[in-house]
Amino acid sequence: MASNGGKRRWSGAVKQVTKSNFSAALEQIKKHINDSDFIAISTQKTGDFSGSSSTSSHRHPWRRVLPIDTQETAYLKAKHAAERFELLQFAICPFRLNGSKVLAHPYNFHLFPRDELNLGMPSYSFSCQSSFLTSMAREGFDFNACIYDGITYLSRAQESMARDRNPVARLRPLTSPSPQSVADSVFMGRIKSRVENWWKACKDPGKATDDSLVLSLRKLILGSELYGSRPCLSIDVCSDHQVQLVLVIVGQICDDLVPIVVPDNRGEVKAVRVILTSSKEDKNLLLSAIQSQEEEADLKVRGFREVLDVISRSHKPIVAYNCLHDFTFIHSKFIAPLPPSMAEFMCSLRLAFSEVLDINHLLKEIGPLRKANNVPAALSYLKRQFFTPVELEIPPQVDSNTDKHHGHNVLRITYLFAKLNCLLKIIPGHQPALGQYTREVGDCANIFYPCSTTLQESDDEDGFQTDKFKKVGTNNVVLLWGFNAGIFASGLKRQLHGSHTVFFDDFEVQLVDRTCAIVVFHVPGSAENLLEDMRSGSIGSGSLNDLISDGLKAAGYETYKKVCRMGLWETDLAEALEMVLQEHANDLSMTFRKDASEIYWNSDLMIDLSDI
Amino acid sequence: MIRQWLLWAVPKTLTLVRRYRPFSSSSSGGGVVMKRVTRANFESALEGLRAQVQEADFVAIDLEMTGVTSAPWRECFEFDRADVRYLKVKDSAEKFAVVQIGVCPFRWDPSRGSFLAYPHNFFIFPRKELPFDGPSHEFLCQTTSMNFLAKYQFDFNTCIHEGISYLSRVQEAEALNKLSSAYENELTNSINTSGENLEIPIVSTADLLFTERIKNKFHEWRNRITESSCAECYVKEKTEHVMTQFQTIFFKMRPAVTLNGFNSHQMKLIQLVLRKHFKDLVFIHAQGEEVMLERKVVYTDSEEDKALLMREVLEDLHRSKEARVRSAVGFRHVIDFLVSEQKLIVGHNCLLDIAHVYSKFFGPLPSSMMEFALSIHENFPNIVDTKHLLNSSHVLQYLMKKNSKSLSSAFSLLCPEASSDSPKSAHSYVKFEVQTDETGLSNWTSGAKHEAGYDAFMTGCVFAQACAHLGIKFDLDSPLTNLATNDKLQGYINHLYPSWNSGTVIDLSTGFEKAESNYKRKYPTVLFSKVVLIWGFPSKFKPKDLKDCISKVFGAGSVTSIFFLDYTASLVQFSKEEYVNDFLMLKDILERNDNDPISVLHPLAELLDGGNTHAADYDTYRQICSAPASKVLFADQAEAAGIRWKTLAGCQNSEAWEATSMNGSSTFTGVRSHELPNTHQVSCEDILDSLYAAR
Repeated sequence: MASNGGKRRWSGAVKQVTKSNFSAALEQIKKHINDSDFIAISTQKTGDFSGSSSTSSHRHPWRRVLPIDTQETAYLKAKHAAERFELLQFAICPFRLNGSKVLAHPYNFHLFPRDELNLGMPSYSFSCQSSFLTSMAREGFDFNACIYDGITYLSRAQESMARDRNPVARLRPLTSPSPQSVADSVFMGRIKSRVENWWKACKDPGKATDDSLVLSLRKLILGSELYGSRPCLSIDVCSDHQVQLVLVIVGQICDDLVPIVVPDNRGEVKAVRVILTSSKEDKNLLLSAIQSQEEEADLKVRGFREVLDVISRSHKPIVAYNCLHDFTFIHSKFIAPLPPSMAEFMCSLRLAFSEVLDINHLLKEIGPLRKANNVPAALSYLKRQFFTPVELEIPPQVDSNTDKHHGHNVLRITYLFAKLNCLLKIIPGHQPALGQYTREVGDCANIFYPCSTTLQESDDEDGFQTDKFKKVGTNNVVLLWGFNAGIFASGLKRQLHGSHTVFFDDFEVQLVDRTCAIVVFHVPGSAENLLEDMRSGSIGSGSLNDLISDGLKAAGYETYKKVCRMGLWETDLAEALEMVLQEHANDLSMTFRKDASEIYWNSDLMIDLSDI
Repeated sequence: MIRQWLLWAVPKTLTLVRRYRPFSSSSSGGGVVMKRVTRANFESALEGLRAQVQEADFVAIDLEMTGVTSAPWRECFEFDRADVRYLKVKDSAEKFAVVQIGVCPFRWDPSRGSFLAYPHNFFIFPRKELPFDGPSHEFLCQTTSMNFLAKYQFDFNTCIHEGISYLSRVQEAEALNKLSSAYENELTNSINTSGENLEIPIVSTADLLFTERIKNKFHEWRNRITESSCAECYVKEKTEHVMTQFQTIFFKMRPAVTLNGFNSHQMKLIQLVLRKHFKDLVFIHAQGEEVMLERKVVYTDSEEDKALLMREVLEDLHRSKEARVRSAVGFRHVIDFLVSEQKLIVGHNCLLDIAHVYSKFFGPLPSSMMEFALSIHENFPNIVDTKHLLNSSHVLQYLMKKNSKSLSSAFSLLCPEASSDSPKSAHSYVKFEVQTDETGLSNWTSGAKHEAGYDAFMTGCVFAQACAHLGIKFDLDSPLTNLATNDKLQGYINHLYPSWNSGTVIDLSTGFEKAESNYKRKYPTVLFSKVVLIWGFPSKFKPKDLKDCISKVFGAGSVTSIFFLDYTASLVQFSKEEYVNDFLMLKDILERNDNDPISVLHPLAELLDGGNTHAADYDTYRQICSAPASKVLFADQAEAAGIRWKTLAGCQNSEAWEATSMNGSSTFTGVRSHELPNTHQVSCEDILDSLYAAR
């Protein structure tokens, strides 16, 4: 099996990239990206609230993506995780498909959010889940290499902020001239004569034999300096307007002069430096030198994001396993802070990455509602169900170090995708369609399937869940809290059973965390009835009334959504629900709404808090 | 006297068990041999340390953390009110992890005329040792602190792979509590299971076949046991029936079979079959010694026997779980020991360290500084902060002159002993020897600056030397009397700085904070009742703009000072108390009449531009600081703290004032301070400076 033999077979196949070999590797990476059909990615985080994370209990277990989550709340949870945790490794694997052959070029980048520019960016601080770090340690992760030698990065939004706050001297194009006042013409006249004086003095070869005293005196008077080996002159300015004026003047005097704008450390323009070049060729030489300096500085600022920019520009389809989580991280670390809603996020993401293929979604295409817990499980499922021979070919690295086998997951994803693609026949955009059984990337791109979790790991060897998912409308769901702490779902169900008309029919009870339970009704309208009766107080006497007088409370799904929207993650769910209800005490629409969405409910996804 | 300096002293002959190493503070700062303690050698190191602590005159400690402030606006500012300052310390101790703890017992050896030091460097990691909520499943790392640790070659791999875990007292109690309630619950469940649903949901034909086959197999097995005597059956089975899945074994003196090779769904079916058809067969789902789950089916000959078996099994389970909790206590054993021995604890600027010790090893930090101080005092009756000692003793002030009070500079100044290049002075230096008492040298490393073990060692040396300067005699051939009760130290014991720039000292024995006599304040005293908090204003606003804007409404001298927490939030101190309310009311009115031309043209409209400008009193600042979230920008934090209104209304205001005005206005005066503010501090104070200059 590929996943078992993986470590051995692929050992040393993934090129490890750190700060020291990053710029050297970049050219090759660009080439591989541009030659590829697809690009697989996989990340290593310091923590996550995703479904595929370990089943260890958390302080607030309801923060993880649960079967009760809709797309929207799953996004909000993923957003919370992405803002909180950090990426330590980012593996990419550009690959070409050729029949059953896959030509892959895997790279694994070690990242660390080092504050190179001393601006509190890319991140002031980040969270770690000790269970994540421990399991990374078990896989032999080298934390020292990561922290000492990880590549840093800035997001696009951060880069423009850094530009403002940590400016470097650069060329600036001439903008359309603004109206000039009398003071402007006086200023221009003065600058003009000063530059001309200096220019003439530099050009005049007769003075070349002057002794050093005269030279230094002249330097003092003219303000002449050297820029590299070329003479230059600094002109102090105090506004952008004056910069433009100086640029106009310099353009008028001579073609050999190159002006660059020098900012002070607060980002305001301080001076214009005029550099004298000896000829047209020399000027071009200087211009290209400045250009490459700027590019180098930019690369230093962008860091690892350069790779994502290359991927973005290449417009290649991207393949990932848990897309919602990976791409919320990517968006928040490399593009901009995450927007408040899923729709805005998808829009913003599409601008950067037009086609993203979620393996979870592709798996769903093959077997409806089938879902693997992890990549190896999906691989073994495919292996059992279908005959899909795939040959993964990885050209050996020149400087491969065989002892390191980080980032293998990306190869597994590549392999899995190749197998899936034998069935789905997805054709990358640039290739012509081969027949009616093929489909375009666009048909299945950009549909993210949230990975939800169970607290109780099923110990089936294949890790596959049986088809017990039911679609449940969110308007058939009620959240309950205020019951005895430490009660089990079965106990609560027993207490509720028969206490109200809605609790006679088929209903399910499960705990979301220690403080809050979810009730799923299979008779439409039950949830509404219950909430309405509890609100109006027409419960009558009985066990439900006793429970209510002991503090039992209920709310509809909207309240839960609101909790997620408001980001009340730092408390138990009951407390968060309480806060929302208090705030919207008079707003009836909060508790119930007609336009319900659907969740995939699985009665097996038992949250068993007693399991200690 | 010839001093021989052994740096990586690896003696060829390891017959000598105890080695005394005279040490010198060489300029490199390294060179002291200390014990490196990880998970692997923790048990043995703990034994050694116990004896050393028992004999010690004092114990120096130092901690390395993954960070100090969780957001820029959470840094300590000079003018923070005492309660806000404590909230900042509390936040830091709650959010960040401790990765290294240095513990160094010092003992005066009268026969040698020197102090014997035993520096230990413990690697700590909040590993999840128990299947439920452990020490801290999640912690924060401050990027700059991680870089700082990396700069001093901190070994993250050792820390994460090999660090010692811990449970606080509260966590241990909770874990044990949870265990016993789960135990009782299971016990009751195991006894009355009769009412359970006995229907077997048959989903597929495969399931049907499986249940039938299992039923038959168990019938066969039970019949064999009941027909013949057990011993016979055992023999018989070995020879006749070789059924792979049904090997009879003995479990708690009863015949049993181990279930192997079934998946979880099949296990569920087996359970249902047993419950429905076999009253005398019990399904046991027991955790073995290892993490391996073992499932067995046991034959019991009566209902009583069945109950007895269940009880036995659960008791076993309970005991093994309890043992696991006890072993998960980990590093806290060291702290517990320091507490029970009631030794004098020495730290350098150690309030944050102590707060970490409290939150990691005792329990959640109390809500007020007073409670915290008294609770610490109960556990550690004698703590000396060398930083405070150096600052407040005149003798030491004179010796230190204008030098920085940082640990390493105090160390090289006060303890230059035996470093050949230092001029001999009239002072007699206290001698220190580092003791190593183990033959295995793999656990010994050479200490370096900003390594917890070495910092603890330096702190202890500075303390002992400072004691000598204060006139405490360390005599040859005379044992040391209790340092904690020494008159010469009385003014210094249990006096700690709440933060490096507070200008106050907290007395742990009383819980009261008082101004430090010789602290020079950089800014005039802040009266908190005159302060208003503004946040969410347009990002282009600079301190000067804010001042101009408010001055236009309240007059030229109305603003005393402005402090930008970050570029989204600011504290403004008015010259008069009533301006606070006036400002808040005015803002509220302007916002209510949004489209009114007067509102649009009002001088404050500029400040309210963008519609996100919020304002409130100082207590709201406190409330926002106490919120558990830590957003980088203050404006985001306010939102995360659940603040939905834009202006704190007047009536709420006055009530809130009474509640916390006791800490409101304390005045401080002082002489001087020497501190190196960090970079962010500079930028904030620069803003203030520029503002004062602008006036």
